[in-house]
Amino acid sequence: MYTFKYLKAFILKSLPIIFLYYLSFSSFESIKEFQNFTVFAFNLHMILIYFYLLKYPDYLGIGHIFLAGLINDVVIGTPLGASSLSFLTMCFFTTYVRNVTLRPKMTAEWFTFIPAIFFSNLIFFLIINNFSNLSYYYIEILSNSFFTFLFFPIFYFFFKSYQSRFKED
Amino acid sequence: MSDSRDDFIIAIRFALLKKGVKQKFSLSFLILFSISIIFFDKFSIPPVSFVKNIISDIVYRAAVIAVVPGKAIMYVSSQTKKHLTIYSENIALKKEISLLKRDQLDASFLKTENENLKLVLGLEKDQITERDTVTIARVMIDQISPYLKSLLINKGTKHEIIKGMTVFSKNYLIGTVIETNYLSSRVLIITDLNSKIPSIIEGTDVNVILAGNGNKNDFTLDYLPEGFVLEPNKIIYTSGKDGFLKAGMPVAETYLNKKNELKIKSLADPQQASIVHIVRGQFKN
Repeated sequence: MYTFKYLKAFILKSLPIIFLYYLSFSSFESIKEFQNFTVFAFNLHMILIYFYLLKYPDYLGIGHIFLAGLINDVVIGTPLGASSLSFLTMCFFTTYVRNVTLRPKMTAEWFTFIPAIFFSNLIFFLIINNFSNLSYYYIEILSNSFFTFLFFPIFYFFFKSYQSRFKED
Repeated sequence: MSDSRDDFIIAIRFALLKKGVKQKFSLSFLILFSISIIFFDKFSIPPVSFVKNIISDIVYRAAVIAVVPGKAIMYVSSQTKKHLTIYSENIALKKEISLLKRDQLDASFLKTENENLKLVLGLEKDQITERDTVTIARVMIDQISPYLKSLLINKGTKHEIIKGMTVFSKNYLIGTVIETNYLSSRVLIITDLNSKIPSIIEGTDVNVILAGNGNKNDFTLDYLPEGFVLEPNKIIYTSGKDGFLKAGMPVAETYLNKKNELKIKSLADPQQASIVHIVRGQFKN
């Protein structure tokens, strides 16, 4: 019984990591079945990394983020290490924001997400343009970044309510 | 001024070098490691490529399991949609069958005539024969991302798959092999932005490039001559000008959409493909 309880607690605590790996393996972009929903494609990896590194850095190790980035690259076919570097850039920004923030507020964190998305995507494009022959529409990426920014508060409250169960930590 | 600059530098140094309580690596170490991986991958150093192939094989197999929930949801949704439209579909199909029966006789006559003429001219058959087919593979994942639209198949170098081979589904071209691992390969879908096929339009001698535009099933035509008016319901065939794809393979057709605009759609639906044939292009070897 004790083992089961311990296992359950361990899985629940590791859920952000499991979710991050799941997103990388399934290369989540949007709900593909419904054509109109692809308009609202967004990058859930970025939201997850930004939120957890900002609010609960002990729940999501950067080693896992690095590995999830490599898996994501293998699955989507981009140069190996591109997503990792992009995610690590996001980590760098998030850690910096966390260090300089005195009074955390959701709105302030939401707006500091803009430069974080911008620089991590910039790194990704630079790698793709210089290290591969892939072509893509900038407008599609721009819309993806915009919806990533837009959906942040929804996931912020969702993740926050999930983390509230671990308040005793 | 100097204090704020010091604070900025301290915050950056802290972010890059300081490890968290449960962090095993510093950010700067992982960033440098990522950069070195990118360089190793770019220059395809043999040991690194070998390791990458093994990792790819493992990750692809794991990815197949990861996409199961998503596929299940898609399956349920498509089945529900099918059930809702079954009555109207039945009426449409009945009409189509009666039309097809009428056309069948004409088609069989034309087919025989075409085969006889090809024999006289010494041309090869268009259909994929068993001799052409290197192997039959199963699609593990259809990968649709803003950067690359591709399929992952369960055959690799072990099954004599090499880069550049062409992939067919139900006798229609759906893509080209762009990456091979030992047990799996990646196929670039013809509708991807990176796909360009030298083609010819039915009933004309106009050579064009059929380019994927990144949308689900649509194409654009590049290098169309000035003043050329494209008509609906025209089949677009491969021209064989690239020296790799066989000439005369049907790839796409023109149609008028609901807004009465002329569009080009793929004859095959790469995202619905589950079993594919992989062939060696023109068999020059």
